[in-house]
Amino acid sequence: MKSPAVLKMALLPGLMFASALATAAPVKIALVETLSGPQAATGLTYRAAVRYAVERINADGGWHGEPLELLEYDNQGGPAGAADKLKAAISDGAQIVVQGASSAIGGQITEDVRKWDLRNPGRELIYLNVGAEAQALTGDKCQFYHFRVAGNAPMRVNALVAGMKQDQALGSKVYAINQNYSWGQDMEQAIVDGAAAGGYTVVEKTLHDVGKIQDFSPYVNKIAASHADTVMTGNWGSDLLLLMKAAKTAGLKARFGTVYLDQPGNIANAGDVALGNYVAQTFNPEAAGEAGAAFMQDYRAKTGHEPTFIEPQTVFGMLLVGEALRQVPAGDGKLNVRKLALALEQASIETPMGKLSMRAQDHQALLPLAVSVVSRDAKYKADGTDMGFKPVKRFTAEEAAVPAQASCRMQRPD
Amino acid sequence: MEQLATPLLNGVIYGLLLFMVSAGLTLIFGMMGILNFAHASFYMLGAYFAYALQDVFGFWPAIIVSPLLVGVVGILVERYILRRVHRFGHAHELLITFGLSFIIVELVKLFFGNYPVNYRVPASLDFAAFTMGSLDYPAYRLFMGIVAIGMFVAIYLLLSRTRVGIVVRSAIHRPKMAEALGHNVPRVFMGVFGVGAAMAGLAGAVAGAFYTTSPNMALELGVLVFVVVVIGGLGSLEGAMLASLLIGIVTSVAVGIDASLADFMALFGAGDLAREIGGILVLKVSSLAASLPFALMLLVLLVRPSGLMGDKE
Repeated sequence: MKSPAVLKMALLPGLMFASALATAAPVKIALVETLSGPQAATGLTYRAAVRYAVERINADGGWHGEPLELLEYDNQGGPAGAADKLKAAISDGAQIVVQGASSAIGGQITEDVRKWDLRNPGRELIYLNVGAEAQALTGDKCQFYHFRVAGNAPMRVNALVAGMKQDQALGSKVYAINQNYSWGQDMEQAIVDGAAAGGYTVVEKTLHDVGKIQDFSPYVNKIAASHADTVMTGNWGSDLLLLMKAAKTAGLKARFGTVYLDQPGNIANAGDVALGNYVAQTFNPEAAGEAGAAFMQDYRAKTGHEPTFIEPQTVFGMLLVGEALRQVPAGDGKLNVRKLALALEQASIETPMGKLSMRAQDHQALLPLAVSVVSRDAKYKADGTDMGFKPVKRFTAEEAAVPAQASCRMQRPD
Repeated sequence: MEQLATPLLNGVIYGLLLFMVSAGLTLIFGMMGILNFAHASFYMLGAYFAYALQDVFGFWPAIIVSPLLVGVVGILVERYILRRVHRFGHAHELLITFGLSFIIVELVKLFFGNYPVNYRVPASLDFAAFTMGSLDYPAYRLFMGIVAIGMFVAIYLLLSRTRVGIVVRSAIHRPKMAEALGHNVPRVFMGVFGVGAAMAGLAGAVAGAFYTTSPNMALELGVLVFVVVVIGGLGSLEGAMLASLLIGIVTSVAVGIDASLADFMALFGAGDLAREIGGILVLKVSSLAASLPFALMLLVLLVRPSGLMGDKE
């Protein structure tokens, strides 16, 4: 047995090093997501992606050699829960808040963060939005400490239109069916606005209740009566699945242009119904080539599943923050969030899909997109089926970008 | 003609599906006074059991065995959980079924995952029954309707024409007297609970393949089933049938109506004014379709609190 004194001597430098680090509080990142209840499935995918990204940032040295700490909060699926948990996160010392599922929750968080930052100069927070795509968040609600690394309705629709047009799958008559809340209304507006560029007419627009409809066949009748060639929808979850299944069983001859068809479980559940329909994605492994394959492999090795749906954009958003953190000097060991926000505005990284950067004007990320069609020829299969997403058109960040909204008048710190 | 025929047929069949789930709920309430919050969970269990069994037995045996299994689960719930809390009153029963619904959802997520599962209409039923206008009418929808009608007829005959039915009905109306006459009322309760659960399970097994089988399916249908039972009158089987059909048809037909209150006011020359005010006045009826059942429930509760066919307070 070794002498205890020798052991102490050996441990001493290590202990001193550790205590030096402990004086500087680690940078805390708070994930405020829906981790329980009916919408938990989506929240848990955000969590998997954020965990993966934090691990990767820490493996690369974290913030000046100090690992980031991830705190997780369950917002219980609603804005009220999110407001509560945001307070808890603040009192736990979080400086970066991450959230993605639901624009309603995103709207609450960005407002609360804005007010907190206004009242507590020097103790600001950043809200990294990795999935709430409502236009208002980068429009009239835009604010300096909100950053969105996700698409938005016009970006998605423009890409879809261009991709489907190239594939000659668009046709001249488009039916817009969306969920009746901020995101669905944005989608409807974007579909109407895209008509001139896409050379189509919007034959009919429908907004319906969110998540309440089991039977979509009455809507399918309406679509059939309009003789639409393409149905464009921002629907997600059961509202997308049930709509497509109802269309298929009725033998509707229209293609679907969607945003969320790559949600896990959709392809398995829809089966052949999904074939030949389109989706605008922020990541497609086949389109991303070798870098995409490497990312897929690494992600699967760390999390046990392949990155789909919102996971890639969440990882890229976090890595963008990691990059911005590198630009912020260590100073007295406490992260200056204002400097981080300024660095984030200038940050850009190379993702497997291409260059991703932040637009300082409205804090909307400029990110590459891909439009894909569900096909049996896809290289990567989805949900354990023989189908997957075959890319038909890629867009660089510049091509996918749409101009910032005029309604965004951001108050910048001097 | 077909503009109206298809929505009507769709509405009727959707209504019949609602009836399959709400029949058990209303029977259980009528008999035991229990508002069973876990009832829609039995619907979900039916779908998941059928999904799990179809790999082993094939589709047809699966949709027969699955309701039986759900019925057994129902019996166990009644015998070992509800009966114990029965003496503490209705609030306890209600709370325990509420808790049970959460437990069932979490168990389903544990075994089958968070996402919709791959449970689909079998190829033998995946064809068009007939064509209306430009659209096919799926045969499976008709199948769902037939199953529901069959179930209604069977339950109705059972209750009104058989000896078992007499005992059950007497146990509903005068449980003490039925017991005094030598009938085992707790066992009748257990049986009714099991049958009610099995009916919801059958609905799930049949509808899960057509719609989606996901951990959210109980939640999506659960609220609507309560609306059906309230509108129909708590405890009334015929009322549940009437209310189900009413809700099915109203939601289905409303989707096709693009009028708003402003259009109605335009009849009196106030259309422009209404459009200027905006808000609720320009909301299209079609975008409210899924909320109409709740408006209907409000109306029924205001005008006839016991429901359309209900006789209980």
